[in-house]
Amino acid sequence: MIYLITALDAEARPLCDRYKLKRSNALPYTLYTGENTVLLVSGMGKTNAAMAVSALLGWRLPSPGDILINMGICGAPVNYPIGDALLIHQIIDGDRHYYPDILYAHSLAETSLICVDIPQSSPQEYPVDMESAGIFQAASKFFKLHQIGFLKIVSDHCAPDTVTKEGVIRLIASHLDTLDYVSGLLTDVQTDHALFSQSEREEIDSFKSHFTKSQGDMLEDALCFARLKNSDFSLDLFPSSLPNSKRERGILLENLITRLTL
Amino acid sequence: MKTSSPASPSKLFSHLYIEKSIFDHPKTEAIRTKFAASRVVLIDHYKEVFNRPNQSFSAQSQSKKLILAQRGGKFLHEGSQYSDGFDHQQFFYASSVMGCLYDCDYCYLQGLYPSANTVVFVNLEDAFAELLPHLHQDTLVATSYDTDTMAIESLTHQTQEWLLFAREHPRLHLEIRTKSANIKGLKHALPSERVTLAWTLSPQYIIDRYEHATPSLEKRLAAIREAISIGWKVRICIDPVIYTDTFDLIYPDLIDTIFSTVDPDSIEHLTLGSFRLSQSHLRSLKKLRRSDVAFYPYTVYNEMATYPETVESHILETLLAKATHYLPAQRIRTWQRQS
Ligand code: SF4
Repeated sequence: MIYLITALDAEARPLCDRYKLKRSNALPYTLYTGENTVLLVSGMGKTNAAMAVSALLGWRLPSPGDILINMGICGAPVNYPIGDALLIHQIIDGDRHYYPDILYAHSLAETSLICVDIPQSSPQEYPVDMESAGIFQAASKFFKLHQIGFLKIVSDHCAPDTVTKEGVIRLIASHLDTLDYVSGLLTDVQTDHALFSQSEREEIDSFKSHFTKSQGDMLEDALCFARLKNSDFSLDLFPSSLPNSKRERGILLENLITRLTL
Repeated sequence: MKTSSPASPSKLFSHLYIEKSIFDHPKTEAIRTKFAASRVVLIDHYKEVFNRPNQSFSAQSQSKKLILAQRGGKFLHEGSQYSDGFDHQQFFYASSVMGCLYDCDYCYLQGLYPSANTVVFVNLEDAFAELLPHLHQDTLVATSYDTDTMAIESLTHQTQEWLLFAREHPRLHLEIRTKSANIKGLKHALPSERVTLAWTLSPQYIIDRYEHATPSLEKRLAAIREAISIGWKVRICIDPVIYTDTFDLIYPDLIDTIFSTVDPDSIEHLTLGSFRLSQSHLRSLKKLRRSDVAFYPYTVYNEMATYPETVESHILETLLAKATHYLPAQRIRTWQRQS
């Protein structure tokens, strides 16, 4: 699943069209859903962003292979050309600094980003937005840091009054391929895949339920050992019936663990 | 949403995170020059990056970043029960680098650190100042603590600095433990009786399976031969031994391979020790679910996880029997649990 976050409706519109997303009423926020994508419009400001992202991720908990991308416009100093796409490696929020992990090679410009409270008319050291810190804070409770990306498109040189709704739509629409590129890179980095399939997990848990907690933990370790040692290892060594006596069950488990960890 | 073709793995140290206060330090400048194509991110303190919650050690291992910092606290730590202090009056580890370029599945760093990135402390001079008051008596310092310093030597030159410092201080002994095959840094220094290079060797099968990104056995052996030939004292460590179903074949064979190309009389000691880890580090290793090493049914004694006594004895007896073909027992050291 790809979680997309924008601050503004205008930023969301090209994304809805591109990924054929439908409006959803599941949350008290503007939300769109599609086959493998959810898009949340958080509203402006860090607090709104943090609250909206928390609500989204609490409602639909991410799985290990999922990613989250914040896409939106930013103001920037004059040395950042308008229309350029920037990947963010540091978010500065006063004394607090946040670092999404960028674990892939890419061809985009990277920069720090200052997250401010109000639109900025005077140039800062780095590009500025108003949501990234809130999004990072909320998202990093649910995601590993390499699963989160911030893609910003330069909309103005600290002249927020010059930014129009149509301009925002145009800028975002011109970088939909960039978004695909970033989401592809982020998705490919994911390493935390489950060791056992859903059906294997159910079989293991049901077998473990016949044993004490510590016996179950030992069995779990032995199964992980066997699967990591040999990814083709199959679970068909669980007996279909178990002895009634505790002692005999204990012996059976010991033998099983020995076989698994040979 | 469509995805692009698979990403090429990000090159080593694609990002340099540098504490603002040491941005102009000569060592920082040298490293920046070496990694001129890397992106530089200025930070206030290394912990902002290294200690972040919710990092993925396994994902980061595919694309390690370098953090340059100044160590404010202690560089030296007293030796631990898991290692051999070789009977010196004092035994310290020096921690001037955190994290390792290599990626061994059994490495305790995975349990110790929240990050797979590497922190280099550029103010090594402060480690020397901390050590000075202890140097009125025989002191052993292990310089490869929480890292493999030789692996990163071409970047940091810390080993060379240690060697220069040791030359001035006759009661200082150094142990430089490594899996590296790059000994260029040693060629510029004068070999010293008080410096031991300790090479960890494993069968190629174990290297391929569990010691990712490390040099091959052949390359390590070539480095050992070269170090000996230019006059360095070398210790060979078959430690940790990782027990697998092929143990009886591959480990005795390793000893034969070593001594078919390295003259046994030219090494100081051979150290043998089976895998062991504190229970808390093992728990963290399990959480990562990266390798079968973490899930072997170890026994736990005094908070330390080791192979069951029968396996451990079998490991040591087998290796000792083989090693004594080449070396007298006094030159073989073994790590055994304290029971
Ligand atoms: S070489 Fe040593 S410090 Fe480095 S990863 Fe391997 S075990 Fe850990």
